[in-house]
Amino acid sequence: MVMESINVIIADESPLVRLGIIGILNKIDFPFQIREITNSKRTISSLHKEHKNLVIISNSYINICPPELTAVLLSKHKQTLRVLIHDDKSAFKTLPDFDEILEPEDNEKVIIRKLEKLLGAFSTMKPDKNYPGEISGREKEVLQLVAMGMTNKEIAEKLFISSYTVITHRKNITAKLGIKTIAGLTVYAVIHKLIAPLELH
Amino acid sequence: MFFLNHRVTMQIHSNMKMAEVIHLNYQLLPIISRFEINLGFGEKTIKQVCHEYSIDVDFFLEIINSFHNKDYFPKKNLQGFSLKLIVEYLQKSHYYYLQTKIPHIELLLHQISNFFSGIESATFHSIDHFFTEYKNELTDHIQREEDKVYPYVYAVETAFLNRNPTKEIVSRIRDYSMNDFKDEHDNVEDKLYDLKNILIKYLPLPVDPQLCQTILIELFRLETDLNDHTRIEDKILVPKVKYMEKWILEHFTL
Repeated sequence: MVMESINVIIADESPLVRLGIIGILNKIDFPFQIREITNSKRTISSLHKEHKNLVIISNSYINICPPELTAVLLSKHKQTLRVLIHDDKSAFKTLPDFDEILEPEDNEKVIIRKLEKLLGAFSTMKPDKNYPGEISGREKEVLQLVAMGMTNKEIAEKLFISSYTVITHRKNITAKLGIKTIAGLTVYAVIHKLIAPLELH
Repeated sequence: MFFLNHRVTMQIHSNMKMAEVIHLNYQLLPIISRFEINLGFGEKTIKQVCHEYSIDVDFFLEIINSFHNKDYFPKKNLQGFSLKLIVEYLQKSHYYYLQTKIPHIELLLHQISNFFSGIESATFHSIDHFFTEYKNELTDHIQREEDKVYPYVYAVETAFLNRNPTKEIVSRIRDYSMNDFKDEHDNVEDKLYDLKNILIKYLPLPVDPQLCQTILIELFRLETDLNDHTRIEDKILVPKVKYMEKWILEHFTL
């Protein structure tokens, strides 16, 4: 079954924490589009009104984050679920309302269970107007580059995103189109005129 | 309704008439012809036909029953047959894929080119290129089994049957074992899956729907056959050889 992808925002300063969360998300079979936030304001636009959002944010990040960004990330929005990484025990964790709290002592199984429960909540939400099989603009870009024979690393460099994000895009593309191999994606790209036949590797 | 269900998964036995088997499930035709049995059975039963062609009737029954009913897999029975019988059957299906099935699908795919001209022909060329890649991968995969895996299987069986765990066979087992064998199907299977989806979901309109249907049905049949082939490898060949490998390693002394 093809599912609508979920826009995941991971807000924490530590690359170790972000990579850990991404690693766990990759074990959950769900089409995610992952974005990482460290401290730039550029990412304020990351929350999509039309999409389902999953914001994963830590206490320590809330402490150092510019208030206007926290306001955006934690604003009440029908299609957004908020998860707190409770890394500062002294902080007041119920402000604002979080849908789930990850404790530092949670093991991988517990975290996966908590996240899967949240994803279940998403599936009961009203689907948005985008019809499910359609790939997004960014996914289209990635698909073009894949079809031209580029590696994940090359695509990451070209689009200024991490290799993890490229992998996530590719997983989503495969889930949406039902095409698993590079050769198959290339045929799709030719049929939909995303690449000129000359660009075939 | 119950009767119908019952009939679909009915086990095929040696006293059934061969003609009835075809009526029961026509998809068994390529399997039967793999045993080099020709049509024109008259009223003969499976037992009689197998006798006529000097085919081990129990082995024949296990193979067609396992294809006929996915849930039917009496491992124990098949385990009893020699590896030679199993490998010969697998080789015959290889031959069928490469000599009959793939060229047939290729021919059908080439007919797609008639529906595209000028710049649109890129679509046909990309599909054609895709299928050629698929064909090459499948051929390589089969070639590797024929050149490397089957000779290895025979060597292990010979050492096992002669109760003779030599240094040479032990080093071959350490160099390559049946555990290594299982990994390589994936990409070939994925490509077939992709091709089906491209035809079902994405092929642009001008192509004759009848032609697309014919190609798709052929692809689904090929997939069913390949899955059955893989099942025989995974459920019968691999455990049997692994059992022998284990015995040889345990009984080898310097």
